[in-house]
Amino acid sequence: MDKKAVLLGLALALPLPTWAQRAQAKLECRSTGTDYVYDCIIRLTRGAEPLQGAKITVGADMPSMPMAHNVKPVQAVPGDKPGEYRVTLDLEMQGEWMVKLRLSGPLKDQLMLRYEFDASGARPLKRADRPPRK
Amino acid sequence: MDDYLIGVLTNIGLFGFMALSAYLLLLAGEMSFGQQAFFGVGAYSGGMLTAMLGWPLPAAALAAMAMGALAALIVALPTLRLRGLYFAMATLAAAEMARIGFELLHWQVVVAGEPTGPDGTQGFRGIRWVFENGVEPGTYLAIIWTLLAMVVGLFIAMERSRLGAALRGVGEDPELSASLGLNVIRVKLAVAAAAGALAALGGVLYAHHNTYIEPRNFDIMLGVHSLAYALIGGLGTVFGPLLGVLVDIGLLEGSRVFQGYRMIVFGGLVALLLMVRPRGLLDEGTVQWIKRRFS
Repeated sequence: MDKKAVLLGLALALPLPTWAQRAQAKLECRSTGTDYVYDCIIRLTRGAEPLQGAKITVGADMPSMPMAHNVKPVQAVPGDKPGEYRVTLDLEMQGEWMVKLRLSGPLKDQLMLRYEFDASGARPLKRADRPPRK
Repeated sequence: MDDYLIGVLTNIGLFGFMALSAYLLLLAGEMSFGQQAFFGVGAYSGGMLTAMLGWPLPAAALAAMAMGALAALIVALPTLRLRGLYFAMATLAAAEMARIGFELLHWQVVVAGEPTGPDGTQGFRGIRWVFENGVEPGTYLAIIWTLLAMVVGLFIAMERSRLGAALRGVGEDPELSASLGLNVIRVKLAVAAAAGALAALGGVLYAHHNTYIEPRNFDIMLGVHSLAYALIGGLGTVFGPLLGVLVDIGLLEGSRVFQGYRMIVFGGLVALLLMVRPRGLLDEGTVQWIKRRFS
Protein backbone atom coordinates (compact mmCIF):
# COMPACT_ATOMS: atom_id res chain seq x y z
CA MET A 1 0.00 0.00 0.00
CA ASP A 2 1.18 3.50 -0.72
CA LYS A 3 3.00 4.97 2.32
CA LYS A 4 1.37 8.38 1.86
CA ALA A 5 -2.11 6.86 1.85
CA VAL A 6 -1.36 4.96 5.07
CA LEU A 7 -0.11 8.12 6.78
CA LEU A 8 -3.16 10.07 5.61
CA GLY A 9 -5.46 7.32 6.85
CA LEU A 10 -3.76 7.32 10.23
CA ALA A 11 -3.95 11.09 10.48
CA LEU A 12 -7.68 11.02 9.75
CA ALA A 13 -8.32 8.13 12.13
CA LEU A 14 -6.56 9.76 15.06
CA PRO A 15 -8.52 12.12 17.26
CA LEU A 16 -8.03 15.82 16.63
CA PRO A 17 -4.94 17.17 18.38
CA THR A 18 -5.49 19.31 21.46
CA TRP A 19 -4.66 22.54 19.65
CA ALA A 20 -7.45 21.93 17.19
CA GLN A 21 -10.09 21.33 19.85
CA ARG A 22 -12.42 24.07 20.85
CA ALA A 23 -12.54 25.38 24.38
CA GLN A 24 -15.36 24.50 26.76
CA ALA A 25 -16.53 26.60 29.67
CA LYS A 26 -18.72 26.25 32.72
CA LEU A 27 -20.01 29.06 34.85
CA GLU A 28 -20.70 29.16 38.56
CA CYS A 29 -22.34 32.36 39.81
CA ARG A 30 -23.51 33.62 43.18
CA SER A 31 -25.45 36.77 43.89
CA THR A 32 -23.40 39.45 45.61
CA GLY A 33 -26.45 40.70 47.50
CA THR A 34 -26.71 43.74 45.24
CA ASP A 35 -29.58 43.45 42.77
CA TYR A 36 -28.55 41.63 39.59
CA VAL A 37 -24.83 41.66 40.39
CA TYR A 38 -23.18 38.23 40.43
CA ASP A 39 -19.72 36.96 41.29
CA CYS A 40 -18.89 34.25 38.81
CA ILE A 41 -16.19 31.64 38.34
CA ILE A 42 -15.49 30.51 34.80
CA ARG A 43 -13.93 27.05 34.43
CA LEU A 44 -12.23 26.87 31.07
CA THR A 45 -11.02 23.61 29.55
CA ARG A 46 -9.77 22.34 26.23
CA GLY A 47 -9.67 18.62 25.62
CA ALA A 48 -10.41 17.95 29.34
CA GLU A 49 -7.34 19.97 30.37
CA PRO A 50 -7.67 23.30 32.18
CA LEU A 51 -6.96 26.17 29.81
CA GLN A 52 -4.67 28.70 31.42
CA GLY A 53 -3.44 32.09 30.35
CA ALA A 54 -6.54 33.01 28.40
CA LYS A 55 -7.73 36.58 28.21
CA ILE A 56 -11.52 36.47 28.59
CA THR A 57 -13.90 39.32 27.86
CA VAL A 58 -17.34 38.54 29.27
CA GLY A 59 -20.55 40.06 27.91
CA ALA A 60 -24.22 39.05 28.08
CA ASP A 61 -27.42 39.33 26.07
CA MET A 62 -31.00 38.18 26.64
CA PRO A 63 -32.18 35.59 24.10
CA SER A 64 -35.76 36.89 24.18
CA MET A 65 -34.67 40.44 23.42
CA PRO A 66 -31.54 40.18 21.30
CA MET A 67 -29.35 43.27 20.92
CA ALA A 68 -31.48 45.31 23.31
CA HIS A 69 -29.33 44.90 26.41
CA ASN A 70 -25.82 46.22 26.25
CA VAL A 71 -24.17 44.71 29.30
CA LYS A 72 -20.77 46.30 29.57
CA PRO A 73 -18.13 43.68 28.69
CA VAL A 74 -15.72 42.99 31.54
CA GLN A 75 -12.35 41.27 31.70
CA ALA A 76 -12.14 38.10 33.77
CA VAL A 77 -9.11 37.69 36.02
CA PRO A 78 -7.28 34.40 36.77
CA GLY A 79 -8.76 32.52 39.74
CA ASP A 80 -7.25 30.25 42.39
CA LYS A 81 -7.02 27.03 40.35
CA PRO A 82 -5.68 26.33 36.86
CA GLY A 83 -8.28 27.11 34.23
CA GLU A 84 -10.35 29.19 36.64
CA TYR A 85 -11.19 32.81 36.04
CA ARG A 86 -13.23 35.26 38.12
CA VAL A 87 -15.58 37.93 36.91
CA THR A 88 -18.35 40.11 38.34
CA LEU A 89 -21.40 40.39 36.10
CA ASP A 90 -23.71 43.38 36.44
CA LEU A 91 -26.92 42.36 34.67
CA GLU A 92 -30.10 44.39 34.22
CA MET A 93 -32.57 41.82 35.48
CA GLN A 94 -33.05 38.19 36.43
CA GLY A 95 -33.96 35.63 33.81
CA GLU A 96 -32.35 33.90 30.87
CA TRP A 97 -29.06 35.33 29.70
CA MET A 98 -26.59 34.24 27.04
CA VAL A 99 -23.19 34.84 28.57
CA LYS A 100 -20.68 35.56 25.83
CA LEU A 101 -17.03 34.68 26.48
CA ARG A 102 -14.59 36.12 23.99
CA LEU A 103 -11.24 34.40 24.36
CA SER A 104 -7.87 35.65 23.27
CA GLY A 105 -4.34 34.67 24.25
CA PRO A 106 -3.38 31.02 23.61
CA LEU A 107 -6.72 30.43 21.90
CA LYS A 108 -9.03 32.73 19.98
CA ASP A 109 -12.61 31.66 20.37
CA GLN A 110 -16.08 32.80 21.33
CA LEU A 111 -18.23 30.71 23.66
CA MET A 112 -21.92 31.27 24.29
CA LEU A 113 -23.32 29.93 27.57
CA ARG A 114 -27.06 29.88 28.26
CA TYR A 115 -27.83 30.42 31.94
CA GLU A 116 -30.84 31.27 34.07
CA PHE A 117 -30.02 33.93 36.69
CA ASP A 118 -32.17 34.19 39.81
CA ALA A 119 -31.94 35.70 43.29
CA SER A 120 -29.30 33.23 44.46
CA GLY A 121 -27.13 32.64 41.41
CA ALA A 122 -27.18 31.02 38.00
CA ARG A 123 -27.79 27.58 36.58
CA PRO A 124 -27.24 26.22 33.06
CA LEU A 125 -30.33 26.16 30.96
CA LYS A 126 -31.25 23.38 28.59
CA ARG A 127 -34.63 24.07 27.13
CA ALA A 128 -36.86 21.08 26.52
CA ASP A 129 -38.01 20.48 23.01
CA ARG A 130 -41.65 20.97 22.21
CA PRO A 131 -43.45 17.75 23.31
CA PRO A 132 -44.98 15.72 20.51
CA ARG A 133 -48.70 16.34 19.94
CA LYS A 134 -51.00 13.66 21.29
CA MET B 1 -12.86 52.31 20.44
CA ASP B 2 -13.62 50.14 23.49
CA ASP B 3 -15.57 46.87 23.45
CA TYR B 4 -18.65 48.46 24.99
CA LEU B 5 -18.96 51.22 22.40
CA ILE B 6 -18.36 48.75 19.58
CA GLY B 7 -21.10 46.52 21.05
CA VAL B 8 -23.61 49.37 21.37
CA LEU B 9 -22.93 50.67 17.84
CA THR B 10 -23.14 47.13 16.41
CA ASN B 11 -26.53 46.62 18.06
CA ILE B 12 -27.77 49.99 16.81
CA GLY B 13 -26.66 49.08 13.29
CA LEU B 14 -28.28 45.65 13.39
CA PHE B 15 -31.53 47.01 14.77
CA GLY B 16 -31.36 49.66 12.04
CA PHE B 17 -32.06 47.02 9.37
CA MET B 18 -35.14 45.82 11.25
CA ALA B 19 -36.40 49.36 11.86
CA LEU B 20 -35.99 50.24 8.17
CA SER B 21 -37.77 47.05 7.20
CA ALA B 22 -40.77 48.04 9.36
CA TYR B 23 -40.56 51.62 8.06
CA LEU B 24 -40.73 50.48 4.43
CA LEU B 25 -43.97 48.63 5.10
CA LEU B 26 -45.36 51.60 7.06
CA LEU B 27 -44.71 53.81 4.03
CA ALA B 28 -46.88 51.44 2.02
CA GLY B 29 -49.58 51.76 4.66
CA GLU B 30 -49.05 48.37 6.30
CA MET B 31 -48.18 47.78 9.94
CA SER B 32 -46.38 44.46 10.30
CA PHE B 33 -45.75 42.77 13.62
CA GLY B 34 -43.93 39.96 11.86
CA GLN B 35 -40.67 41.29 10.45
CA GLN B 36 -38.76 39.27 13.05
CA ALA B 37 -39.65 36.14 11.08
CA PHE B 38 -37.63 37.33 8.09
CA PHE B 39 -34.80 38.41 10.37
CA GLY B 40 -34.86 34.80 11.62
CA VAL B 41 -35.02 33.36 8.09
CA GLY B 42 -31.94 35.42 7.22
CA ALA B 43 -30.11 34.37 10.38
CA TYR B 44 -30.85 30.66 9.97
CA SER B 45 -30.33 30.42 6.22
CA GLY B 46 -27.16 32.54 6.25
CA GLY B 47 -25.80 30.63 9.24
CA MET B 48 -26.51 27.27 7.62
CA LEU B 49 -24.83 28.30 4.39
CA THR B 50 -21.58 29.46 6.01
CA ALA B 51 -21.33 27.08 8.97
CA MET B 52 -22.64 23.89 7.39
CA LEU B 53 -21.97 24.28 3.69
CA GLY B 54 -18.84 26.42 3.84
CA TRP B 55 -20.14 29.35 1.78
CA PRO B 56 -18.40 32.72 2.11
CA LEU B 57 -20.42 35.29 4.05
CA PRO B 58 -21.11 37.70 1.15
CA ALA B 59 -22.65 34.93 -0.97
CA ALA B 60 -24.55 33.59 2.04
CA ALA B 61 -25.87 37.08 2.80
CA LEU B 62 -27.19 37.47 -0.75
CA ALA B 63 -28.83 34.04 -0.61
CA ALA B 64 -30.30 34.82 2.82
CA MET B 65 -31.76 38.07 1.46
CA ALA B 66 -33.35 36.11 -1.39
CA MET B 67 -34.77 33.65 1.15
CA GLY B 68 -36.11 36.54 3.25
CA ALA B 69 -37.76 38.12 0.21
CA LEU B 70 -39.28 34.78 -0.80
CA ALA B 71 -40.60 34.13 2.72
CA ALA B 72 -42.05 37.66 2.85
CA LEU B 73 -43.80 37.10 -0.49
CA ILE B 74 -45.27 33.82 0.77
CA VAL B 75 -46.68 35.66 3.80
CA ALA B 76 -47.77 38.73 1.83
CA LEU B 77 -49.68 36.91 -0.91
CA PRO B 78 -52.54 35.75 1.34
CA THR B 79 -52.34 38.56 3.94
CA LEU B 80 -52.12 41.74 1.85
CA ARG B 81 -55.81 41.56 1.09
CA LEU B 82 -56.36 42.23 4.80
CA ARG B 83 -56.40 45.74 6.20
CA GLY B 84 -55.16 47.45 9.37
CA LEU B 85 -55.44 45.41 12.53
CA TYR B 86 -56.27 42.23 10.61
CA PHE B 87 -53.07 42.49 8.58
CA ALA B 88 -51.06 43.19 11.74
CA MET B 89 -52.53 40.10 13.44
CA ALA B 90 -51.93 37.94 10.38
CA THR B 91 -48.26 38.96 10.20
CA LEU B 92 -47.85 38.26 13.91
CA ALA B 93 -49.38 34.80 13.45
CA ALA B 94 -47.08 34.10 10.50
CA ALA B 95 -44.05 35.17 12.57
CA GLU B 96 -45.05 32.86 15.41
CA MET B 97 -45.43 30.01 12.91
CA ALA B 98 -41.93 30.75 11.65
CA ARG B 99 -40.55 30.76 15.20
CA ILE B 100 -42.18 27.41 15.94
CA GLY B 101 -40.76 26.19 12.65
CA PHE B 102 -37.26 27.12 13.89
CA GLU B 103 -37.99 25.18 17.10
CA LEU B 104 -38.77 22.09 15.04
CA LEU B 105 -35.75 22.47 12.78
CA HIS B 106 -33.10 19.83 13.48
CA TRP B 107 -30.37 19.48 10.88
CA GLN B 108 -26.79 19.07 11.94
CA VAL B 109 -23.60 18.04 10.16
CA VAL B 110 -20.17 17.40 11.67
CA VAL B 111 -17.84 20.34 11.11
CA ALA B 112 -14.31 20.21 12.60
CA GLY B 113 -15.37 17.29 14.77
CA GLU B 114 -18.43 19.03 16.23
CA PRO B 115 -22.10 18.77 15.29
CA THR B 116 -23.07 22.06 13.70
CA GLY B 117 -26.48 23.30 12.61
CA PRO B 118 -29.93 24.08 13.98
CA ASP B 119 -30.85 21.88 16.94
CA GLY B 120 -34.41 22.96 17.68
CA THR B 121 -34.87 24.82 20.95
CA GLN B 122 -31.22 24.18 21.85
CA GLY B 123 -30.28 26.69 19.22
CA PHE B 124 -27.72 26.83 16.45
CA ARG B 125 -24.10 27.14 17.56
CA GLY B 126 -20.91 27.50 15.60
CA ILE B 127 -21.77 30.25 13.08
CA ARG B 128 -18.12 31.17 13.07
CA TRP B 129 -17.33 32.56 9.62
CA VAL B 130 -16.54 36.03 10.93
CA PHE B 131 -14.48 34.65 13.77
CA GLU B 132 -12.59 32.09 11.70
CA ASN B 133 -11.77 34.63 9.02
CA GLY B 134 -10.16 36.96 11.53
CA VAL B 135 -12.71 39.75 11.19
CA GLU B 136 -12.24 41.88 14.29
CA PRO B 137 -15.28 43.42 16.05
CA GLY B 138 -14.31 46.92 14.85
CA THR B 139 -14.05 45.75 11.25
CA TYR B 140 -17.38 43.94 11.48
CA LEU B 141 -18.95 47.11 12.87
CA ALA B 142 -17.62 49.00 9.85
CA ILE B 143 -19.10 46.36 7.52
CA ILE B 144 -22.51 46.63 9.23
CA TRP B 145 -22.57 50.43 9.07
CA THR B 146 -21.34 50.48 5.46
CA LEU B 147 -24.18 48.18 4.45
CA LEU B 148 -26.64 50.25 6.47
CA ALA B 149 -25.39 53.43 4.78
CA MET B 150 -25.88 51.78 1.39
CA VAL B 151 -29.45 50.86 2.33
CA VAL B 152 -30.11 54.42 3.54
CA GLY B 153 -28.70 55.71 0.24
CA LEU B 154 -31.08 53.45 -1.67
CA PHE B 155 -34.00 54.72 0.43
CA ILE B 156 -33.04 58.36 -0.26
CA ALA B 157 -32.78 57.68 -3.98
CA MET B 158 -36.11 55.85 -3.94
CA GLU B 159 -37.91 58.60 -2.02
CA ARG B 160 -36.72 61.20 -4.55
CA SER B 161 -37.94 59.09 -7.47
CA ARG B 162 -41.41 58.44 -8.89
CA LEU B 163 -41.27 55.07 -7.14
CA GLY B 164 -41.08 56.83 -3.77
CA ALA B 165 -44.01 59.08 -4.66
CA ALA B 166 -46.00 56.04 -5.79
CA LEU B 167 -45.13 54.24 -2.56
CA ARG B 168 -46.29 57.09 -0.33
CA GLY B 169 -49.40 57.46 -2.49
CA VAL B 170 -50.25 53.79 -2.07
CA GLY B 171 -49.66 54.10 1.65
CA GLU B 172 -51.78 57.18 2.18
CA ASP B 173 -54.64 56.57 -0.26
CA PRO B 174 -54.64 53.23 -2.06
CA GLU B 175 -58.00 53.87 -3.78
CA LEU B 176 -56.79 57.16 -5.25
CA SER B 177 -53.53 55.53 -6.33
CA ALA B 178 -55.46 52.72 -8.02
CA SER B 179 -57.66 55.25 -9.81
CA LEU B 180 -54.47 56.88 -11.13
CA GLY B 181 -53.48 53.57 -12.71
CA LEU B 182 -51.15 52.17 -10.06
CA ASN B 183 -51.29 48.44 -9.41
CA VAL B 184 -51.56 48.72 -5.63
CA ILE B 185 -51.21 45.02 -4.88
CA ARG B 186 -48.12 44.71 -7.04
CA VAL B 187 -46.50 47.71 -5.32
CA LYS B 188 -47.31 46.27 -1.90
CA LEU B 189 -45.95 42.84 -2.84
CA ALA B 190 -42.70 44.40 -4.04
CA VAL B 191 -42.46 46.40 -0.82
CA ALA B 192 -43.12 43.30 1.30
CA ALA B 193 -40.38 41.38 -0.54
CA ALA B 194 -37.88 44.24 -0.19
CA ALA B 195 -38.71 44.62 3.51
CA GLY B 196 -38.25 40.85 3.98
CA ALA B 197 -34.85 40.97 2.24
CA LEU B 198 -33.79 43.90 4.41
CA ALA B 199 -34.77 42.15 7.64
CA ALA B 200 -32.98 39.00 6.43
CA LEU B 201 -29.80 41.01 5.81
CA GLY B 202 -29.98 42.20 9.41
CA GLY B 203 -30.54 38.60 10.50
CA VAL B 204 -27.57 37.14 8.69
CA LEU B 205 -25.31 39.88 10.07
CA TYR B 206 -26.68 39.29 13.59
CA ALA B 207 -26.11 35.51 13.41
CA HIS B 208 -22.50 35.97 12.36
CA HIS B 209 -21.89 38.63 14.98
CA ASN B 210 -23.28 36.44 17.74
CA THR B 211 -22.05 33.00 16.49
CA TYR B 212 -25.20 31.52 18.08
CA ILE B 213 -28.92 31.90 17.41
CA GLU B 214 -32.02 30.26 18.85
CA PRO B 215 -35.74 30.46 18.07
CA ARG B 216 -36.43 32.74 21.04
CA ASN B 217 -34.30 35.43 19.41
CA PHE B 218 -37.07 35.88 16.87
CA ASP B 219 -40.14 36.30 19.03
CA ILE B 220 -42.59 39.19 19.12
CA MET B 221 -40.40 41.52 21.22
CA LEU B 222 -38.02 42.02 18.32
CA GLY B 223 -40.86 42.81 15.92
CA VAL B 224 -42.60 45.19 18.30
CA HIS B 225 -39.40 47.11 18.98
CA SER B 226 -38.62 47.44 15.28
CA LEU B 227 -42.08 48.83 14.61
CA ALA B 228 -41.82 51.13 17.62
CA TYR B 229 -38.49 52.52 16.37
CA ALA B 230 -40.08 53.51 13.08
CA LEU B 231 -43.07 55.05 14.87
CA ILE B 232 -40.94 56.93 17.44
CA GLY B 233 -38.39 58.18 14.93
CA GLY B 234 -40.98 59.23 12.40
CA LEU B 235 -42.24 58.42 8.95
CA GLY B 236 -41.10 61.63 7.24
CA THR B 237 -37.62 60.44 6.34
CA VAL B 238 -35.47 57.33 6.30
CA PHE B 239 -33.50 58.80 9.20
CA GLY B 240 -36.60 58.58 11.42
CA PRO B 241 -36.38 54.84 12.21
CA LEU B 242 -32.64 55.17 12.83
CA LEU B 243 -33.37 58.00 15.25
CA GLY B 244 -35.83 55.67 17.00
CA VAL B 245 -33.12 53.03 17.43
CA LEU B 246 -30.71 55.67 18.65
CA VAL B 247 -33.18 56.92 21.26
CA ASP B 248 -33.80 53.46 22.69
CA ILE B 249 -30.54 51.54 22.32
CA GLY B 250 -28.17 54.51 22.30
CA LEU B 251 -29.74 56.84 24.83
CA LEU B 252 -32.00 54.80 27.14
CA GLU B 253 -30.00 51.57 27.17
CA GLY B 254 -26.54 52.87 26.39
CA SER B 255 -26.64 55.46 29.17
CA ARG B 256 -27.97 52.86 31.69
CA VAL B 257 -29.77 55.73 33.46
CA PHE B 258 -33.01 53.77 33.88
CA GLN B 259 -31.38 50.36 34.51
CA GLY B 260 -34.05 47.64 34.70
CA TYR B 261 -36.87 50.16 34.28
CA ARG B 262 -35.88 51.00 30.74
CA MET B 263 -38.63 48.92 29.13
CA ILE B 264 -41.25 50.78 31.16
CA VAL B 265 -39.74 54.13 30.15
CA PHE B 266 -39.58 52.97 26.54
CA GLY B 267 -43.23 51.84 26.55
CA GLY B 268 -44.30 55.14 28.11
CA LEU B 269 -42.30 57.05 25.50
CA VAL B 270 -44.00 55.16 22.67
CA ALA B 271 -47.46 55.84 24.17
CA LEU B 272 -46.66 59.52 24.72
CA LEU B 273 -45.29 60.04 21.23
CA LEU B 274 -48.24 58.29 19.61
CA MET B 275 -50.50 60.80 21.39
CA VAL B 276 -48.41 63.93 20.83
CA ARG B 277 -46.74 63.14 17.52
CA PRO B 278 -48.61 60.24 15.91
CA ARG B 279 -46.26 60.14 12.90
CA GLY B 280 -43.11 60.29 15.04
CA LEU B 281 -40.39 62.80 15.87
CA LEU B 282 -39.31 63.31 12.27
CA ASP B 283 -42.75 63.40 10.65
CA GLU B 284 -43.43 64.78 7.16
CA GLY B 285 -44.15 68.31 8.47
CA THR B 286 -40.92 68.47 10.46
CA VAL B 287 -38.90 67.16 7.52
CA GLN B 288 -40.41 69.83 5.24
CA TRP B 289 -39.65 72.50 7.84
CA ILE B 290 -36.02 71.33 8.09
CA LYS B 291 -35.70 71.31 4.30
CA ARG B 292 -37.06 74.87 4.01
CA ARG B 293 -34.83 76.03 6.83
CA PHE B 294 -31.64 74.66 5.28
CA SER B 295 -32.37 75.10 1.58
